[in-house]
Amino acid sequence: MAQSDGIGRRRFMEMSGATIIAAGAADLMGCATAPARPTAPTEGIGYFSRFGVTERMIADAIAAAMSRGADHADVFFQHEVSTTLALQDGAVNRAAAGAVLGVGVRAVKGEQQGYGFTEDLTAEALRECAWTAAAIADGTPRAGPGAFHVPGRLPQRYPMKIRWDDVRPEQRLPLLTGLNERALAADPRIRKVNVALADSVGVILVADARGRIVEDLQPMTRLFLSCVAEQDGRREEAGYNVAGRAGFEFYDAARLDRVVRRAVERTVNLFEAVPAPAGEMPVVLAAGSSGILLHEAIGHGMEADFNRKGTSIYADKIGKPIARPFVSIVDDATLEGARGAINVDDEGNDAGRTVLVEKGVLATYMHDAISARHYGVRPTGNGRRESYRHAPLPRMRATYMLPGPHKVEEIVASVKKGIWCDYFTNGQVQIGAGDFTFYVKSGRMIEDGKLGRPVKDINIIGNGPKVLELVDMVADDLVIDEGGWTCGKDGQMVPVSQGIPTVRVGSITVGGQRKG
Amino acid sequence: MAIDMLDVARAATAMARRAGAQDAAAVSGRTRGVSVEWRDGKVEKVSEATTRGLSLELYVDGRYAVVSTSDLRAEALERFVGDAVALTRKLAPDPFRALPERALYEGQARVDLQLEDPALAAVTATRRRQAAQAAEEAARAVKGAGAIVSVSTGTGDTLSESWRVHTNGFEGTRRATDFWISAQVSVKDADGRRPEEWDAATGRHLAMNPQPEEVGWRAATRALSRLGARKGASAAMTLVVDARVAGRLFGRLLDPLSGAALQQKRSCLEGKAGLALGSPLLDVADDPLVPRGLGSRLFDGEGLAARRFPVLEKGVLRNYYVDTYYGRKLKAAPTTRGPSNLAWGPGAKGQDQLVREAGEGLLVTGFLGGNSNGTTGDFSLGLQGFRIHGGERAEPVAEMNLSGNHLEFWKRLVAVGDDPYPYSSMRTPTLVFEGAQVAGT
Repeated sequence: MAQSDGIGRRRFMEMSGATIIAAGAADLMGCATAPARPTAPTEGIGYFSRFGVTERMIADAIAAAMSRGADHADVFFQHEVSTTLALQDGAVNRAAAGAVLGVGVRAVKGEQQGYGFTEDLTAEALRECAWTAAAIADGTPRAGPGAFHVPGRLPQRYPMKIRWDDVRPEQRLPLLTGLNERALAADPRIRKVNVALADSVGVILVADARGRIVEDLQPMTRLFLSCVAEQDGRREEAGYNVAGRAGFEFYDAARLDRVVRRAVERTVNLFEAVPAPAGEMPVVLAAGSSGILLHEAIGHGMEADFNRKGTSIYADKIGKPIARPFVSIVDDATLEGARGAINVDDEGNDAGRTVLVEKGVLATYMHDAISARHYGVRPTGNGRRESYRHAPLPRMRATYMLPGPHKVEEIVASVKKGIWCDYFTNGQVQIGAGDFTFYVKSGRMIEDGKLGRPVKDINIIGNGPKVLELVDMVADDLVIDEGGWTCGKDGQMVPVSQGIPTVRVGSITVGGQRKG
Repeated sequence: MAIDMLDVARAATAMARRAGAQDAAAVSGRTRGVSVEWRDGKVEKVSEATTRGLSLELYVDGRYAVVSTSDLRAEALERFVGDAVALTRKLAPDPFRALPERALYEGQARVDLQLEDPALAAVTATRRRQAAQAAEEAARAVKGAGAIVSVSTGTGDTLSESWRVHTNGFEGTRRATDFWISAQVSVKDADGRRPEEWDAATGRHLAMNPQPEEVGWRAATRALSRLGARKGASAAMTLVVDARVAGRLFGRLLDPLSGAALQQKRSCLEGKAGLALGSPLLDVADDPLVPRGLGSRLFDGEGLAARRFPVLEKGVLRNYYVDTYYGRKLKAAPTTRGPSNLAWGPGAKGQDQLVREAGEGLLVTGFLGGNSNGTTGDFSLGLQGFRIHGGERAEPVAEMNLSGNHLEFWKRLVAVGDDPYPYSSMRTPTLVFEGAQVAGT
């Protein structure tokens, strides 16, 4: 909500009152040498003991947070070190490194929350935050935890074979310079190449009033390659990026080949583009990053906070059919190495697979602890936050549609006149009205069942429930996109994944520049 | 335990030098922020914290890196800076990287920008809560409030302080307050849609913001006006773009106006200085010295003394946003890295009159998603608003889209309003375009 002036924020972060998603390296910040080696703890306070954090400090803080009658309280510690190396004009001539260290304390009374945070990991600072948070309630003190326990072993969804703190700059630099040389060599029209390689290793600790204590080590890496090409005095720019929770091994030969090939192809293909039509028509969404459709058309609307407040267009639709029987949509924390994977959510709850739409019927919302209590259901492990500066919210992880009964060829062949889209940059939705958009950086015309000339820079706008009803063909070629998607909600950015098989939307408004 | 943050910035540059950097620029910052969110009769969330951090640019043996940390413990910082300098040494040299010329630090305006409101000290938790509550109550008092599903309001304030220290002689301090208030209202439509609308204000001084009741009333009135919104037909038409959202359109030009975009050959505005980009009504200056302005500053993000300059004069492109680094690469004098406040050439008419004169078309009150290709100038943005019929605002429209190319679109600007939006540093007035391509059914 427009709380401060938008200029100078991230390129895609200027909107108010709605949620957004964006791909690409709008700003890669952060990232290099680890001041201390993060190692996965086994029980109690492992990692954060190096900062002087003790169970006693945490117990005192939680007791202070409960001192005015809160139902629940938790603390969230975060330490993250990150490095970005960037290449421009042929040389890796800039680096960014970052360290984030802090703690947030929350008190919860019903659906009300008090929140305080600090960078100062001392008992006094923690207690002060807790008192601030406690003020949300106004009653008699409730007891904090007497002792802490580690609730079972966490899954291991992001194994790192080559840990980032073992990778020297001398190993990273050739990756960037090699991609630059290959992109320039791939097509003589390429004039400028930018490459950025980012990695981070973060550790979180969640402890709560029930005595639960959980630590998780969460790596992330992202590689971005963009090209500017020139032909007959015209210029075009495009790129490709990949991301995952993995170590340096993520960048195998096949992935690097794909990054160069896709970035270059996407750029030079734009020279062939014809103006896109304007108006309603069938749209075929290619497998993979077209999952942005699900993120916007239904994902945000299924986050339980909007539903418990009655502000989502899906607020009274659980158990009702909203799509064809071959449409099933899930939000999944378990995809190994995916950008949206988590072992545990930021409230310490187990994170698994949540079925949002089962055979066309709306099944389950995505919950954080507050909404789960509101609805009397188990939390779904969707309580996530950008950092210790923020209270958690229900958020997506990896959202995708399961394979359907159709073949890609028959889907394309079924369209007399429409467009096919495979390259997206961002999207946005209005939760209540249900109107959503996604931006097609490039695609192709479909004429008489065949793919034709490229089209580019088209916003597509539709209404969530209406468009889901119009998803009338789903292929069997599910792809989880490997791109670095970031989702924004209430000013908080979190990493997510998305995927989809090739689908056809019978009719949707295409925002082209010529009367269709 | 208060840390002297100027000392932190100075100490960081000293650490950088000890670790082997020839030059460094440090910025330390501390922000105290309090916010209250209110929903449907009670407090939803209260957040209160003081947060701090440090960022540091390093110039090491002709090489460059930028680092940031919130871990300011002395021994951790020393190690962090040492590691960062070691990392910087591994990079390729970059002859264009250096601190700004000292001469550009000189000549800061001798004005009091009044960025800090002493009234902050008197704002209490009770007062914030009452303001949020009053905004909701006003929203629920409007005619037709029976359709309201939910009202969320909020208010808050921050005090931000920062200290900038460069090893070539610059030191600067900045303190600023912000006060914001917002209301969002969801209403239930006959077809099951729950359209939402909002109103919000941000000001450096508390007295610059409207009363909470006004914010709540406007949010509810806007939300109720969305009931029954439909998609219209695709056509080329006149658009009257509300001042509140016109920044979403003009903001798309900021990327291609940047030195980085020019130097990287991804700006559709390259080589356009001195040429007409838009109609003569497109008249925009960058003005960092507006008293109480949201973008006001005495020095910019590199320490350069801030001064007003024209960006577009009667439609003609006069200046780009160029920082020291890309200025050196482009062999151009730096202006400033990014916008401060925008000052628009004067408009004489209010929005109602502009709608009357438009006769037929669309009044755009919101953009949804979309993007702009800074390399070619093509853009495509979702929109909603109202049909203009017979010079009057008529039925609501939604789920439509505007497409165009900046190099052509701004020439269609035929009128600007007298109503610059005060709650954003872009300060856009209502803008009227003729013959814009809108997609719908």
